[in-house]
Amino acid sequence: MYVKREDWIPGNFKNVPDTGRSTQNDIVQHGWTPITTTTSVLGVVFESGVALAADTLTSYGSMACFQNNPRILTVNQNIIVAAAGEYSDYQFIRDIVEEKVRTEKSLNDGISMKPKALHTWLSRVLYNRRTKMKPLWSTFLVAGIQNDVPFLGEIDKLGTAFVDDQIANGYGAYLALPLMRKAIDEKREKFNSKLTKDEAVDLLKKCMEVLYYRDARSHDKYQIGIVTKDSVEIQNLVLKPNWEVAKLVQGYE
Amino acid sequence: MSIMDYNGGALIGMKGKDCVAIATDKRFGIQAQTVSLDFTKVFQINPHTYMGFPGLATDIFTVYEKIMFRKRLYELKENRKISPKALASLVSNLLYENRFSPFFVEPMIVALDEVTLEPYMCDMDLIGCVNKSDNFVVGGTSSSQLYGLCEALWEPDMEEDQLFETISQALVSACNRDAISGWGAKVYIIKKDKVIVRDIKTRMD
Amino acid sequence: MDTIIDRGAPKARNFEPYASNGGSIVAISGKDFAIVASDTRLSEGYMIYTRKQSKLFQLSDKSVLGCTGCWCDTLSLTNIIQSQLKSYLYDHNTVMQPNSIAQLLSTLLYSRRFFPYYVYNVLAGLDNNGEGCLYSYDPVGHCEKVNYTAGGSSGVLMQPFLDSWLGNRTTDNPVTEEEALSLVKDAFTAAGERDIYTGDEVVYNIIKKDGIQTGVVQLRKD
Repeated sequence: MYVKREDWIPGNFKNVPDTGRSTQNDIVQHGWTPITTTTSVLGVVFESGVALAADTLTSYGSMACFQNNPRILTVNQNIIVAAAGEYSDYQFIRDIVEEKVRTEKSLNDGISMKPKALHTWLSRVLYNRRTKMKPLWSTFLVAGIQNDVPFLGEIDKLGTAFVDDQIANGYGAYLALPLMRKAIDEKREKFNSKLTKDEAVDLLKKCMEVLYYRDARSHDKYQIGIVTKDSVEIQNLVLKPNWEVAKLVQGYE
Repeated sequence: MSIMDYNGGALIGMKGKDCVAIATDKRFGIQAQTVSLDFTKVFQINPHTYMGFPGLATDIFTVYEKIMFRKRLYELKENRKISPKALASLVSNLLYENRFSPFFVEPMIVALDEVTLEPYMCDMDLIGCVNKSDNFVVGGTSSSQLYGLCEALWEPDMEEDQLFETISQALVSACNRDAISGWGAKVYIIKKDKVIVRDIKTRMD
Repeated sequence: MDTIIDRGAPKARNFEPYASNGGSIVAISGKDFAIVASDTRLSEGYMIYTRKQSKLFQLSDKSVLGCTGCWCDTLSLTNIIQSQLKSYLYDHNTVMQPNSIAQLLSTLLYSRRFFPYYVYNVLAGLDNNGEGCLYSYDPVGHCEKVNYTAGGSSGVLMQPFLDSWLGNRTTDNPVTEEEALSLVKDAFTAAGERDIYTGDEVVYNIIKKDGIQTGVVQLRKD
């Protein structure tokens, strides 16, 4: 029972006024746990741009709920963004980003947003929401060209932001990231160069296939987004899995 | 706070060239209250075999007595001194027998083999998982500090004097950053012909 | 987060606003220089996010801040400091002195006393007399001026090592720049052996009268 401060009697241990942190008590239910979720996203930098990959499945717990929910967003002719986690939070961010781009276009000054700016902006939005204890339960990969240099960065639901040449999250961090690092390192050691666009896309396709075999929340329909200096393209792809491997998995009967 | 940190303490074992060393602090406390200043946690098992017991003070004595009991039976039956390796197995077995109600000690063995005079060193966790070491072993409430110091200060094939300097410096510096270790220290340098025991002065706060 | 006073809080609270992203800082000040170094591993649990994230932030031409702890808080805090320093520059047409930055940082940290920035800070710089100065903080703004310090996930491993080398120095035997740099390297190499949250590379900044010199040293990558 809540007692007003002036009714409190010193030395009386019962009905002590609540001294808990206010943020603990006024949390609303929204955003506590993700409901409609998506799985891994992958991103890799190649010599002339950046490629992202993400499947189009949105799960509802273990149910494969919506099978055609794309989550690679073309922001402008310079940036693409992919999201993982709560799909509604991605839609929320997508609407705001699209609004930003519209506002920017209407200025008609020929200046458009660069990926680093969006990366920082997203990190502030997510950080401010986590500070309110009302997080947007999503991870974002931002890819683009920053002053002629390919840019790839991640922001998680806390606002933890960083930049790297190859990024994967969720199961992708366990299953795909080692493959991506290996391909990049081998190319650098053998030829002292970065991946070509075709190599990067083939690499992502291989990674998506590997994920499809072992990530139960993954899907065979997926997208690859590619941003280079002169173009942004998003490919819709379908995996052709080879289940011959299934015969090799034995001993669980 | 873990029961392992109830009494406090710091121990190191180090390998040198044809010699080994073991060092202990001398504090005995109950949580933050210091009770006595002459509580060494190192015991001689055989002329060249020493053991250190970081952990709960009450279990130190229990485990030590149990080890000595089994070690004496072994030596009577075999009619020879126990080797450090066999001692490690003996202690490991004793601890693992109490897998689900363990003694809260993480013993270390620092020795020269009684026959071959080969240096031997190991430590184990409280249920007897043995970790054999070729450079140093650490234990007690300041084990993190000791790891940092030993990694930085230890080098291979140290002579007796350098080994003494290194182990003392490591123990004293580590204890100065741990509120429940220190209050004096004792270092044992084990060589083939003699064991040198030195008391170290430390900060008494 | 485990709070002491937890009355009335819902039980099923499952959002954790803090993360521990690892990393370590070592800093040593001398007569006419200050050196501050960090590793470049950014991680959470067993996952390495990136191997090339420096945790040093240059605040002016003679002060550098090193931050470890929760990376999202680090980003926020350093952004706020940098914008405050800009305001100060535009208001006063002077770059803020390290001792003033030290107080500013303490105030900023304490402003979030009951929902702290989970960041361990070390501020290194050159004071008004051109001498090296160093300030070490806790997450809620306690500030201490020191001659050397180690912080972050390997702070406990490296601090007693620095104590043993620098703890009993007197003014007639000051630490040289070369010695300080080699101590920093040794401390990180030792820490990299035993701490999984410290590794990959060390970046260091040596702050001197005529500029900030930076360098990189390789560490264990596993």
